[in-house]
Amino acid sequence: MKLNLGKISSLMLLAVFCFVLLPINSNAAVNPNDYIIEELQAKDVPNDDGGGLVLSWKPLPKEKRIIEYRVYRGVTADSLFYIGKVDVNVRTGVAGNEVFFYDTSYNSFLSLESPAKLKKEKQQEKDSPLYGTFPRDLSITGPQLKNFNILAVINEDAFYFKNKKVEITNDDGGTDVYAGLELRHFFGLYKKLLADKEYYYTVFAVTESRKYMPYAEPVIGIARENSPEKIDKFFATYVNDANRLQFEWSRAAFADDNTDHSIYLIKKNDLAKFETYVAEQKQLEKNMLDRMTDKTVAEFVPTIKENPAKLIFKRYCGYPYNPVNTASVNIEDGKIVGENIDAQIDVENIENYGFVFSLQDRAGYETFSAIAYSDIISLSDLPSLPEYWEINDRPDDKGDYNRIYWEKPVAFLTNTSFLNEDKTEIMVNYDFFSNSKYKNIKTIYFDLYDEDGNKLDSVNEYYQDKKLVFNLPEPKEKLFMKITIRTKVDDDENYTFDQELVFDEQSKSLMPGELMLDGEKLNDYAYSIYKNNFSSQEWRLSKKMMGSQREFFDNISYNMPHYKGVSKFDAEKGLLYVDPSFSIRMNADKSASVSSNLYQSEMDKAVEKYSKEVANYTEKIATAETEAEKAGFQSAMDYYQGQIDIIKNNEILKKAAEFDNDKARVKFLKKVKEIGNRAFEYKMVRSDGKAHFSESSTYSSEMATKLPYTEEIRAFYPGLGTTYFFPIPNWFSSDKLPALIATLIFGLLVFIMIFQAKRGKNLYVRPIAGIEEIDNAIGRATEMGKPILFVPGLSGISDVATLAGLSILGRVAKKAAEYDTRILVPVRDFIVLPIAQEIVKEAHFEAGRPDTHDKNSVFFITTSQFAFVAGVNGVMVREKTATNFYMGMFWAEALIMTENGSATGAIQIAGTDAVTQIPFFITTCDYTLIGEELYAASAYLAKEPLQIGTLKAVDYTKFLILAFIVVGSILSTVHATFLINAFPEK
Amino acid sequence: MKRQIPLIIVITLGFMFVAHSFIPHTISQDFLTWFQDWMKAISPFAVVLGIMSLFMVHGKKISYKAPNWQYSIVTLAGLIFTALTGFIWGTQAGTPYMWIFKNIQMPMSSTMFALLAFYIASAAYKAFRARSPEATVLLVAAIIVMLGQVPLGTMISKWIPISSKWILNVPNLASKRAIMIGVGLGMTATSLKILLGIERTYLGGGD
Repeated sequence: MKLNLGKISSLMLLAVFCFVLLPINSNAAVNPNDYIIEELQAKDVPNDDGGGLVLSWKPLPKEKRIIEYRVYRGVTADSLFYIGKVDVNVRTGVAGNEVFFYDTSYNSFLSLESPAKLKKEKQQEKDSPLYGTFPRDLSITGPQLKNFNILAVINEDAFYFKNKKVEITNDDGGTDVYAGLELRHFFGLYKKLLADKEYYYTVFAVTESRKYMPYAEPVIGIARENSPEKIDKFFATYVNDANRLQFEWSRAAFADDNTDHSIYLIKKNDLAKFETYVAEQKQLEKNMLDRMTDKTVAEFVPTIKENPAKLIFKRYCGYPYNPVNTASVNIEDGKIVGENIDAQIDVENIENYGFVFSLQDRAGYETFSAIAYSDIISLSDLPSLPEYWEINDRPDDKGDYNRIYWEKPVAFLTNTSFLNEDKTEIMVNYDFFSNSKYKNIKTIYFDLYDEDGNKLDSVNEYYQDKKLVFNLPEPKEKLFMKITIRTKVDDDENYTFDQELVFDEQSKSLMPGELMLDGEKLNDYAYSIYKNNFSSQEWRLSKKMMGSQREFFDNISYNMPHYKGVSKFDAEKGLLYVDPSFSIRMNADKSASVSSNLYQSEMDKAVEKYSKEVANYTEKIATAETEAEKAGFQSAMDYYQGQIDIIKNNEILKKAAEFDNDKARVKFLKKVKEIGNRAFEYKMVRSDGKAHFSESSTYSSEMATKLPYTEEIRAFYPGLGTTYFFPIPNWFSSDKLPALIATLIFGLLVFIMIFQAKRGKNLYVRPIAGIEEIDNAIGRATEMGKPILFVPGLSGISDVATLAGLSILGRVAKKAAEYDTRILVPVRDFIVLPIAQEIVKEAHFEAGRPDTHDKNSVFFITTSQFAFVAGVNGVMVREKTATNFYMGMFWAEALIMTENGSATGAIQIAGTDAVTQIPFFITTCDYTLIGEELYAASAYLAKEPLQIGTLKAVDYTKFLILAFIVVGSILSTVHATFLINAFPEK
Repeated sequence: MKRQIPLIIVITLGFMFVAHSFIPHTISQDFLTWFQDWMKAISPFAVVLGIMSLFMVHGKKISYKAPNWQYSIVTLAGLIFTALTGFIWGTQAGTPYMWIFKNIQMPMSSTMFALLAFYIASAAYKAFRARSPEATVLLVAAIIVMLGQVPLGTMISKWIPISSKWILNVPNLASKRAIMIGVGLGMTATSLKILLGIERTYLGGGD
């Protein structure tokens, strides 16, 4: 059909009509009030820190074609801000009777991605209280800071070096100093709800055609501080020959505000009393919450005020990491050993005692686990720790990993499949875990036995391809595999694992059973690696791994943002104010934090302030009326005196005080702090998860060879390099040495060949038909008076194939210009477009035919893959191109283009390095440049010594690679794998 | 200078990136991240060039009433209309822009892709015509591989899937790897030529 303007206009009108009609039709006869959501509720999230609410509402029926629900929140009912949405599948609707939206934990409050200005929500009534998200405009968002618990995540360098010192007069008439930062200095500000504060919420539905429906009547939600969750599992064990109690428990899912892990001892006689105590504590919590909402509710007074169970263990866990979940408690002469612990136990009658674990939170709530009774074991029942383990900096990285490795490699069967119908030939897949010490395993021997212990077959795996084939005399339902490993490190020491293979009816294959080593199920005990740095009091879990693992890389990120609360701001200056103090590390005995300030003057003021407090408390102690009062004042005074001592006597702070300006001082402190944060000590726990565990001591080694920074800075960290390990960035990746050597050899060959070519040596290059025919193909187009089509691939300029294609384009365009033949270059990539345009323009100038250059001969079609093909095919058909070149990277569209070109009768020459497309090009094009020939084409066409020399160097390098392949194959066949192992796998 | 400055930039940055691939140090990694951020910032400007090219090519066709100039109206109208819907109503699910994408762009792309099935059949016919010994080998190999992929092959003979796997894993894979080695070296050679300033065609013109 030939289109004319009239037909085109009619089609366009029809399209516009359909488009306009569609939304009108879909909204016809809709009553917006039918779309107001019902049963909206805001409820407190249980077991949290009072910072979470969960919204729920009844979903609209799927016939209403809802695409999302939008949620708004505010502290008053007249201003509600968008906080998030719940997406809905239009076709299926919501499964269930309720939709939930959680407003919990810290979530985004303000960032650079926030809108610049506050906007009224669209499609709502004029007096609607709904607005978009909080804007970057601090005159609007700033006052909202006080309504939430705000956590600012600040770029480390911005905090140290981009801050502005701001002094604000406080309520007492004094001045408080803050660091003022612009919003761009923050990674983001995150907010959490304040406990016991009223928040208003509303929700509305959005239809498929993005019609915003009316909002529901706002509801009030109040988040309450709750007691921690009850943990699932708690186990106790008494190790009789060590006279030690061991405990292990499952970790809490919500641990944000937990502060302490405690374990109590309780006599069986006191169980009833303890249960009453626990029940009353729950009742007390409920009563307190009830009285918050209804003042008329009577106060509940528990009958048992003190916990009848005896505290035997307590550990702080209020830090944002996974805490240790095991504990050991020693017993001496019937007394539990521990600081501030006063409990006795009769170990001869240990069955008369129960143990209970508790989680405590910042509000003082305590939740107890179920009672656990200890089983009695001896030290020999505990899992063994690795005979050796090593920790050091991971080589060849950017300095963000320490590596930990232990024990000898493990090999195990993973799967099997029958290879014949008789089930006498089986393929067995296996895997192995090695580590940095053993790296490549020398050999793994697999010996297959039947149930009677008869050896059926064996395979020696010198090269571990993780596949084995065994032949059986007859089908077997149960087999035994002995897996013997010989490493290269301990050449003479073989060690053997056992694993069963049992026929499984469901999978119809022999399934591998438990992996055994010396009678112990290897995966019964997991490894937990714990770490701790100079800046933390307590250990944290780095990784928990199954028992067959042998190595772990511990990620120690460079990214060390500062986390600060924000409540003050200056809208005019666009500044948010944060506390300028920052922690550097814990002091030597980890009893207090060594902190500094962005401004040295504030350190001096702090000493003055603390001294006043000390004097104040000294007076109070003298006039205290009770011992308890006196003790409280003494504790406060000790704290302030301790702070003064740290500022005055800590070596780091003393050194920092010597700097003349704050910038140099903070730069020094930043380096010191980095070691404090990024150097870690490690310990290992091997456990079955039921309190049968062994714990290593803290790992220590000889001094590491590489250490960070200068001796002067390292002096602040005794133990660095022996017990504390700091990841060091590396300047060369040693596993890329073969690649570097190969590159250098190749580069050298290029120089030699270029030199020889320049001296006039005749370098023979194999003729390639596709390249030789390029001139003929251009000539054909000239003779026919039809244009040439050149497609420089579909990928971007970063693809070397595109660069090769563009090189060929330069030669072809020049020849075409000489013959005065039109060349058409459709382009898919925006960046390739100007480059291709410039190449074709220059080619015309070089050919002395600038007058024939048409700037529109190189043109952009689209980035869409198949739309581009449609465009190119259209060009072929309309322009009746005589010669088509396809040079570069192609994907599935290749065949569509070349088949179409073939149908139009054009001569076609293609060149690509896409292996999957080469067969299609060969089939449909007259000539094809296969793989490397694409890259060689430019040199062939240029016929210059520089280009030919490079080509020749490629050939010689290929010969070298071939030689390595042949020699490597022969050596591998005779089990000499050193050559293969010399090269990296990837 | 028009050639020298871009050449200096290419050579300098080229060698820096070669060094980067051997240097894992954080300074090297940070440099790459910084550079990639700049790349992201530059890319959108190229979009303008592409759109300008579209307008120039099709505008010229319309103004000169070149053959089939009506298609150019459709192209430009489609471009303007789609862009406007995106700017006015946004690009979220349920907007006119997404309607166009789902109901016009996607079906049309799928149609083009579907054509591939017929072209493959046509190409297979051309390739498998047993006109020479090489083509006959190709035909036999293709039949074995095809039969090896379906249950019928196993029913005919247990050797067919085994042979199929062998053809794919041994001669086919060996050829692929040979091509890949050549491609790898070709890429390295081209990169080296660009780094050393031997290959300058991409700067425009021949030498």
